[in-house]
Amino acid sequence: MAVAGAAALTLAACGSEPDEEIAGAREVPVALTDAGCDPATLSIPAGPTTFVVRNEGTEQVRELEVLGGTRVLGEAYATSPGREGRLTLDLAPGRYTVNCPGGAETATGVLTVTGGTPARTATADADLAAATAGYTSYVEMQARELQRRVRRFATAIRAGDVPRAKELFAWSRAPFEKIEPVAESFGDLDPKIDARVNDVAEGDRWTGFHRIERGLWVDGSTEGLGRYADQLERDVDRLAERVQGLTYKPEELANGANGLLGEVSASKITGEEDRYSHTDLSDFEANVLGSQAAFGLLAPALRKRDPELAATISRRFDSVLAALEPYRRGDGFVSYDTVGEPERRRLSQQVDALAEPLSEVAGVLQR
Amino acid sequence: MSAKVSRRGFLTAAGGAAAGAVAGAGLVAVAGDDDETPAAPPGTGRVAFDGAHQAGIITPAQDRLHFAAFDVVPGATRADLRELLAAWTGAARRMTAGLPARPLTANPAAPPADTGEAAGLPPARLTVTFGLGPGLFAAERFGLTARRPVRLAPLPALPADELDPARSGGDLAVQACADDPQVAFHAVRNLARIGRGVVVMRWSQLGFGRTSSTSSAQETPRNLMGFKDGTNNLTAEETDELRRHLWAAADEPAWMAGGTYLVARRIRMLIEVWDRASLDDQEATFGRRRASGAPLTGSRERDPVDLAAQGADGPLIPPGAHIRLAAPETNDGIRLLRRGYSFTDGFDAELGQLDAGLFFVSFQRDPQAFVRVQTRLGREDALNEYIKHVGSAVFAVPGGTRPGRPVAEQLFA
Repeated sequence: MAVAGAAALTLAACGSEPDEEIAGAREVPVALTDAGCDPATLSIPAGPTTFVVRNEGTEQVRELEVLGGTRVLGEAYATSPGREGRLTLDLAPGRYTVNCPGGAETATGVLTVTGGTPARTATADADLAAATAGYTSYVEMQARELQRRVRRFATAIRAGDVPRAKELFAWSRAPFEKIEPVAESFGDLDPKIDARVNDVAEGDRWTGFHRIERGLWVDGSTEGLGRYADQLERDVDRLAERVQGLTYKPEELANGANGLLGEVSASKITGEEDRYSHTDLSDFEANVLGSQAAFGLLAPALRKRDPELAATISRRFDSVLAALEPYRRGDGFVSYDTVGEPERRRLSQQVDALAEPLSEVAGVLQR
Repeated sequence: MSAKVSRRGFLTAAGGAAAGAVAGAGLVAVAGDDDETPAAPPGTGRVAFDGAHQAGIITPAQDRLHFAAFDVVPGATRADLRELLAAWTGAARRMTAGLPARPLTANPAAPPADTGEAAGLPPARLTVTFGLGPGLFAAERFGLTARRPVRLAPLPALPADELDPARSGGDLAVQACADDPQVAFHAVRNLARIGRGVVVMRWSQLGFGRTSSTSSAQETPRNLMGFKDGTNNLTAEETDELRRHLWAAADEPAWMAGGTYLVARRIRMLIEVWDRASLDDQEATFGRRRASGAPLTGSRERDPVDLAAQGADGPLIPPGAHIRLAAPETNDGIRLLRRGYSFTDGFDAELGQLDAGLFFVSFQRDPQAFVRVQTRLGREDALNEYIKHVGSAVFAVPGGTRPGRPVAEQLFA
């Protein structure tokens, strides 16, 4: 199995909890004999499969392992004569190895998984297809909004209007924060747009939002910022171009939603993100909204698989957003340096309470 | 953006080729019995979780501690609390048997159900002891007022207290003790994870070395002042004394049968000041010899403490000596079961000194026993010059569990 070997052994030997089996898995019997796996050559269609392993020998062969390449995907134990063990895997087409360690002749066999339709319900798949298509347009929309807002921000900088530029700073970057994991996947663009001073490697030029932020708040001037404004416009244009028509997998939406909350915990709660302007709570909100959007697209599919988990996550999104409300002032939020340690801790714990169940979504969708 | 190292490769994260779940067979073999002392299967480093009393009280003190206090979040219901205690009990029972906190699955798209750092480590005599704080029984919280333990109330302000609210109190306590610090940490971490959304951690304390013996078979360890303190601790072998001083009284609610009360105090030692005190002063402060641990009225550690013995300048054990003020003889026979640990939390940046001391834990039939002793110590103890009580908490400790059942089950019955 895909976890540490020692833990896997412990589990298989001692697990008493209900089996987390995949509904509708097809059963494939395999006997463990003193010779090894019987049969040692298997060919099955793709999809959820339960190997029902029965010990028909002595205690010489006690387990069956399924490997993809060198990675153990799962193990089933039948440690003494007559005992049965089960292993459920959702197998994609391809060639796998089966091992029955200790077998005299057929300790290693071949499992061929042929192209077929996984036994998932058609509706759930349609839900997921709708979710991923929806996310493509969400990202495109946020990127266009980013272009529009950055244009206004850049215009204020070029006009030398410091108060106006400060006013627009957090607002202009919010669409970026909503789709940050996608932006981060473009390793060249993300640092140009959003690097903080300590992220910049020696010899590289520091550009983007935070370079401008320092100029506006620390120097209190737009002097020399024009070229950064120009470049920021060009970089967000390129970002908008590159997200056109991108497609995503359901687990990427789930992991992205999760990643956005990781961003909140790692750099927003700590006040590291907007260290000159202290507009961290605006970024905080944008990260959460971006996460909520991705989750919302997955929710119909999730509800069919685990309605309780879906309900818990929805409720906790509401709690996190409600916890931000007391800090809202006008179009933005209070300066983050006025938010004390106990209040930051409360926000952090609310985010953790949401992130924990959210982290389970990708796994549930894979089932 | 986050630092470069935390980049997530959003678009490149490939879905696993195969995912699934192991369908395990067999049963968890959890030893349980109704004996007074939880029996450890020999040679396994395993302490039985179930029994008449929770483990981790009279269990011979392990070397390491991770203690955590939690608050139940506003909005959580009585059902949430009951489910949390059931989930915690199940995970604790598994971890003390050396199993992952929750059963693992082979689904590579899901975060592992156990955090993994204890995989491959033996149970290391792990015990997990749960406590319930006074706040849980407040009116309008969980409808538990009628089942409040008779003797549970926040500790009163005590002389010489310098308490930090951020290191005090709490609705729930988890005391994880083990001979391996990673095993103890793993237990608290996984319970905190399981509790997310229902509880938040309020404070937490690591202890790196035991300072108490709870069995006559154990040596008395030294505290960070270099002294053996607590030689006359209550021990697991003194069955009658345990009944009198440790286990809950008959007038307690049914769910407290076999239970007790836990008092925790974070005692910061001003070790830099202590290290400048002469040996004479140090020995007069404790009332014991540093090298042998013997009382000043004897020559070996377990020699009787003769509080009446007179020397040329007055009593051999001075009036303010710690050993005198803490002795049952001068406290109407009160005895506590002490189970403390030395701690350091690194560096006190304000003072430029080591942040270290004693995380005092005592179990007793009535927290007033502690209050009584500490009131006296806080006023008169010569040690006060070198210590500060900076954290404080009290918890009711429910009785032990039957195999497969949650802790404090009858509280919700």
